[in-house]
Amino acid sequence: MTLLELPSTRAEAWRWADLGALSAAAALAPVAAAAHEWLDLPGARLLFVDGKLDASRSELGGVTIEDHPAGDHALGKHARGLGWALRLDRDTAADPVQIVHVATGKENHLPAAIALGDDAVAQVVETYIGSGWTNRATRITLGRAARLHRSVRLLQSAGFVSLRDDTSIGAAARLVTVFLGAGDAGARIDGQVTVGEGGYAEVGGALLCRGEQRQECAVRVHHAEPNGQSHQLWRAVAADRSTASLAAAVEVARHAQKTDGEQSLRGLLLQRTATVNLKPELEIFADDVKCAHGATVGELDRRALFYMETRGIAPARAQALLTRAFVADALGRIGDDTVRDAFEADADAWLERAL
Amino acid sequence: MLKIENLHAEIDGKPILKGLSLTVNAGEVHAIMGPNGAGKSTLGYVLGGRPGYEVTGGSVRFRPITGAGDTTSVRVERSRDTLSLDFARDERERGDSARDQREGVATASADGDWIDLLALDPHERAAAGLFLGFQYPVEIPGVSNVQFLRESLNAQRASRGEKPLSGAEFLKLARGEAAKLDMDADMLKRPVNVGFSGGEKKRNEMVQMGIIDPSFAILDETDSGLDIDALRIVGDGINRIMRRPDKAVLLITHYQRLLDYVRPDFVHVLDGGVITRTGGPELAHELERQGYGVAA
Ligand SMILES: Nc1ncnc2c1ncn2[C@@H]1O[C@H](COP(=O)(O)OP(=O)(O)OP(=O)(O)O)[C@@H](O)[C@H]1O
Ligand SMILES: [Mg+2]
Repeated sequence: MTLLELPSTRAEAWRWADLGALSAAAALAPVAAAAHEWLDLPGARLLFVDGKLDASRSELGGVTIEDHPAGDHALGKHARGLGWALRLDRDTAADPVQIVHVATGKENHLPAAIALGDDAVAQVVETYIGSGWTNRATRITLGRAARLHRSVRLLQSAGFVSLRDDTSIGAAARLVTVFLGAGDAGARIDGQVTVGEGGYAEVGGALLCRGEQRQECAVRVHHAEPNGQSHQLWRAVAADRSTASLAAAVEVARHAQKTDGEQSLRGLLLQRTATVNLKPELEIFADDVKCAHGATVGELDRRALFYMETRGIAPARAQALLTRAFVADALGRIGDDTVRDAFEADADAWLERAL
Repeated sequence: MLKIENLHAEIDGKPILKGLSLTVNAGEVHAIMGPNGAGKSTLGYVLGGRPGYEVTGGSVRFRPITGAGDTTSVRVERSRDTLSLDFARDERERGDSARDQREGVATASADGDWIDLLALDPHERAAAGLFLGFQYPVEIPGVSNVQFLRESLNAQRASRGEKPLSGAEFLKLARGEAAKLDMDADMLKRPVNVGFSGGEKKRNEMVQMGIIDPSFAILDETDSGLDIDALRIVGDGINRIMRRPDKAVLLITHYQRLLDYVRPDFVHVLDGGVITRTGGPELAHELERQGYGVAA
């Protein structure tokens, strides 16, 4: 594709996007495929190298490879053609699906779909490693009372990962998505979630930035029907001269009464040279709703650091413990112990490198 | 063990300590009393190395008394018993006896070199054996007491070349210390000091001290906020953990009560950033009766 088609940062939804980094990432020289490890989980394992399935090292289980039409999102539309799909019939439960995306330089695009029938249950864990521009578009459809737990970790050592999710949550269905940005690549997590009647959506995570890195999330949750619940809990940590941006919006349609929408956006500056941007947005057209939002940026508690140091804990370790505590509630949303342990270990590894 | 000479320190350019001198020998407990705002906590923070507390003059030297193997620690244990018997004697006599104990220890264990305490970072001071009990213990949301204390102890052990305690070993130690200080073991799982009552925080400081087992403790108003029973338990804890010939304590307090349990060898009045008076335990009684107006 050509990079001429990139969106403009003059548009509000793209104001913090590091679009220059996309071209730079796409121009990265080829590197050897980074090693990966599968989590100790049963179920399907898909390895994509530069957006292409490595069938010899994958076990598809119930996952299929199929053709996906292009969407209309400015970046997501470039991810079209052959991609993976997890389609579950009603009342079925799949073993966890693990997907590892390895990038070896240049750019790669991959579409995907997760479609759960009524009352179906699934768990998807995605890992991004390597270098280059990795672009994804994922369409998620949850049938009535279906449940999806999705955990996504961005661990690329260089380049850029752009994710676009288009999600539709059926009546009484439940989605929990947790993102962790703990690599050294730029990132944009871009999502649109529509919540049906009595549906439940949790979209959040932790973005850890250092060096000159820039990561952002831009997620809009749209409550189209009454009695829905949504929680957007994001934590951003920025060290050195990095920038973390959190933009989270809740829209409540006129007849979506009794909606409970919560946003908690918190930033932590590890150095004053770093930047955290927060933009909580509420657009409420119904009159009987409960929407709360909090947005704060702070630094590590100096008194706590000194207290810990007087007990013998070295300054870097004290900072790591406090930073880890800061992102704990975001990662704590991951329900599966194996997955949560792995993500926490990634966060710890990041802290070791950054502090 | 600790030699403070002509110490000057300021906060935000405001002089607080103005030429303070104090010598604490191993085996001694020194009580520091004095009016609000005198600089007592400032002294503790300066000794602990708190950022923003700038030393503008003077020196602080510290010499940990290091044990030399198992045989020594047995001997130290025995002399500790002797020392506790000495509590019953009158102050002057006990002073002499404490000195004898010191000499005994000096021959039984290898003394370290004098360290320039002010040149060390706070965590290095801790590793050297210094413990600061806070007047206002800090809450650390998201970090459990167990994790915090295990990190602390293992960091100190690592700096002494000892191997870290495993989770199970540590838990056993922590539960034991909590029990000795009558603290509910469930509090070990809670985030450090978060939602603890004032007295529970102080008790938690003592549990920390018991686990870390420092050689020199500065306890800043550890007695404030404690109920009557807790005061006795904490007093006993200080004696149990710190009343040893190879250790010493700086006890900052406003009240005579704690000194009934932890009998000081010396009582000092800190006022206006300097020590204005020094005496034996009777000075605390006198201050309690007459206030600082007369003492100053
Ligand atoms: N950040 C600061 N800026 C200016 N002055 C300060 C600051 N912190 C403390 N001080 C001052 O230093 C002086 C000594 O305070 P310190 O806490 O050492 O007193 P203290 O003897 O411990 O009193 P108390 O008995 O009330 O605990 C006080 O006058 C206090 O107001
Ligand atoms: Mg004080």
